[in-house]
Amino acid sequence: MTDVDAPAGDPHAGEPHDAEPYGTDPYDVDEDPLVGDFDLGEVPSARTVRRYTAQAARARAGASVGSLLTDVYTAATSVAISVLIVLGVVQQLGDSLPPAPPVRDAGGGLSLPVLVAVLLLAATGVLLSTAGRLGPVGVEGAQAAWWLPLPVDRRGLLRPAAARVPVVAALTGALVVIVLEAGLLATGAAALVRAGLLGAAVAAVVVLAAAVAQSLGVPRRRIALVGDALLVTAPLLAVAVLLGGRAPATLPGPSWPVVAGAAVLAAVLAVVVDRRLGDLPGRALREGGSVATQAVGAVVSLDSRELGRALTGGAAATSRRWVSRLRTARGPATALVTADLVVLRRSLRHVVQLVVAAGLPVLATVVPQLASPVGVLLAVLLGGWMASSASAEGARWAEMAPVLDRLLPLDDRTVRRLRMVVPGLVMLGWSLVALTAVGVWAGAPQHWLVLAVASAPVWAAAAVRAAYRPAPRWDKPLIATPAGALPSGVLQVIARGPDLVAFCLLPLWIAIGLTDVVTVMVTAQLALSVVAVLIASSTAEKGWMERMLEQQDQGKGATP
Amino acid sequence: MAPVVRVRDLQVGYGAAPVCAPVSFTLGEGRAVALVGANGSGKSTVLKTVLGLLEPVAGRVEVLGRPVDERQVWFRRAVSSVLDDDAYFPALTVAEHLYLTARGHGVLDAQDEVATLLDEFGLADHARATPVSLSSGQRRRLLLAAGLVRPRSLLVLDEPEQRLDQRMRARLADRLRAEREAGGAVLIATHDPDLVAAVCTQAVHVADDASSVLSPAEAADRIARVAL
Repeated sequence: MTDVDAPAGDPHAGEPHDAEPYGTDPYDVDEDPLVGDFDLGEVPSARTVRRYTAQAARARAGASVGSLLTDVYTAATSVAISVLIVLGVVQQLGDSLPPAPPVRDAGGGLSLPVLVAVLLLAATGVLLSTAGRLGPVGVEGAQAAWWLPLPVDRRGLLRPAAARVPVVAALTGALVVIVLEAGLLATGAAALVRAGLLGAAVAAVVVLAAAVAQSLGVPRRRIALVGDALLVTAPLLAVAVLLGGRAPATLPGPSWPVVAGAAVLAAVLAVVVDRRLGDLPGRALREGGSVATQAVGAVVSLDSRELGRALTGGAAATSRRWVSRLRTARGPATALVTADLVVLRRSLRHVVQLVVAAGLPVLATVVPQLASPVGVLLAVLLGGWMASSASAEGARWAEMAPVLDRLLPLDDRTVRRLRMVVPGLVMLGWSLVALTAVGVWAGAPQHWLVLAVASAPVWAAAAVRAAYRPAPRWDKPLIATPAGALPSGVLQVIARGPDLVAFCLLPLWIAIGLTDVVTVMVTAQLALSVVAVLIASSTAEKGWMERMLEQQDQGKGATP
Repeated sequence: MAPVVRVRDLQVGYGAAPVCAPVSFTLGEGRAVALVGANGSGKSTVLKTVLGLLEPVAGRVEVLGRPVDERQVWFRRAVSSVLDDDAYFPALTVAEHLYLTARGHGVLDAQDEVATLLDEFGLADHARATPVSLSSGQRRRLLLAAGLVRPRSLLVLDEPEQRLDQRMRARLADRLRAEREAGGAVLIATHDPDLVAAVCTQAVHVADDASSVLSPAEAADRIARVAL
């Protein structure tokens, strides 16, 4: 080790550090910096800095007070209408549910209140995992670059950003609890208010606890892992309760003291977070802000793939304990499949998603009020889509970085088909679990297992088709519907993938509706699986209808 | 008195894996050190660690005789940095970004300082433009002006020559030499041999096998020969 920069003419220059000419006394930090012939005054408050930036933004927004009020009115009305629609649908669902059997079988089954409790536990896990991945406190790019280096009170700068996520979480928590309580449990008004307030307080507590952990230097990945663990605990707990045969028929509703206790805890945590805001390192704030910006952009542009990438990248491990030797890669095709497997295996979020997705149909078949064709169909649809989305992580990354698909000497269609191998295997496993449960509920499980094998390729094809869909197109005309104008270009893109689930799984949906599997359904399902794989192998970005219309237009143009 | 920067056996990286061999150097008042090395050798990672934006994998960094902690106000007062942060407030103009930085540091005569730097970096005609409307070279000049519009004891620059034309590079070299002569300490990661020769008093070659100390002339020559 050498002293590389001793003062000029110093005889010790170039000698080891022990001989360096500098002392060890630190500088007086209250003295003015060494460079810059500036007249220095008081450093402004954080509030002043925030206001300066906000005022400039307001001045240049070009929006009048009237248009601002119109925007606020439109947003508030839209939210209110959406909430009322969701409440109405869920309440209708609740009304259509059969009453709980007066005497439950000795074999058990889950009561609706227990199912709601399990769902709320899972939602808590999702919230904690998301909060961890988002920071939860972060600052977006411009603020990180221009605010954080200022010698102003960082706590004051971060206060609005720190308040935003807990407030949003509290509102969402209240809404989710109210929807579940009102829809599935048909709770009375007073109990509904208490449950809603408790939902808001618990959601705020979860996010604020994540913020405290962030201020203590706990890595975001670890916070997300705790959330994932909580999420995976929910279905496992339900299965344990089910196997134990001691599922309670009802659960006590929240009392006012419990609600007050949760609110006090949230307030205490909010104070702790506020006091520790200054301890948050700039790096954590920048990372959190970057993930949040990417996630918000994905939500605004209705790009679920980008949202997944933002949340996954936000808590990805920076290094691995071991290097995979990819022994199963013996050629281009096996290399691609192996790579997909490694990507899935290393994404804990998606593995957790698979476990939860497998639990949904199982739960639907053991809750007496849900164990109807409609309830089971919805659970299979939701669980299947969750599982297939989780299984196609490799394809989603390849869509973002097309060079990955071009690295190997394989043509485009072959690459698409190979990308279906891992989702196909995963969905085969999921289908066997899900349709075994359905078979036990409907009778003749062995027939349902055959249908599971026949239908698995459709899920894989749909997942890969969705992964490779082009970006939403906002330049297409709007379609007027009773629910308002819908962007056709966006709907067309978002429908890629779900369209295969809807049409190519028709035999499965019919079988669930009839609670029976007949040979013709299996045969039809096999044929539709082949169709689905062929459609998903196509590399054309536009649908056949659109291509046909374009060709027609070109033909007209060429005609003299 | 302690040096402005003291780096001892510093290993840097993302997570636990170091990206280069350990680095050691000291940087005093009125001196300038260049970090040179190939792309991906770890120069920027060393700078980020000195700025407290990354935790060291091993070793120690002190600024003004204290451990690095960018959360402390004294650190933010003393250290000015220009990294490759290409992020701007969409509603603020070029001049307003500079006012924000100057006034945020308590500069009373911000108007004069901002006007001088706008002129110096060829941005006077774009003072009222928003940064998104500038070219990438003009945005780079804005970042450099922001690094100089505030008081500082240490100026840290990551490849400041990037996206600048030859005339602006020469002007930047003059500015950094003046910085050093005024008693400031300058730490630069660069691929520009002329900048090293004109500004720096020493250089550190950052590499994955072993880091070594070079004179500015040696560093400039090596950059020119092996295109570091």
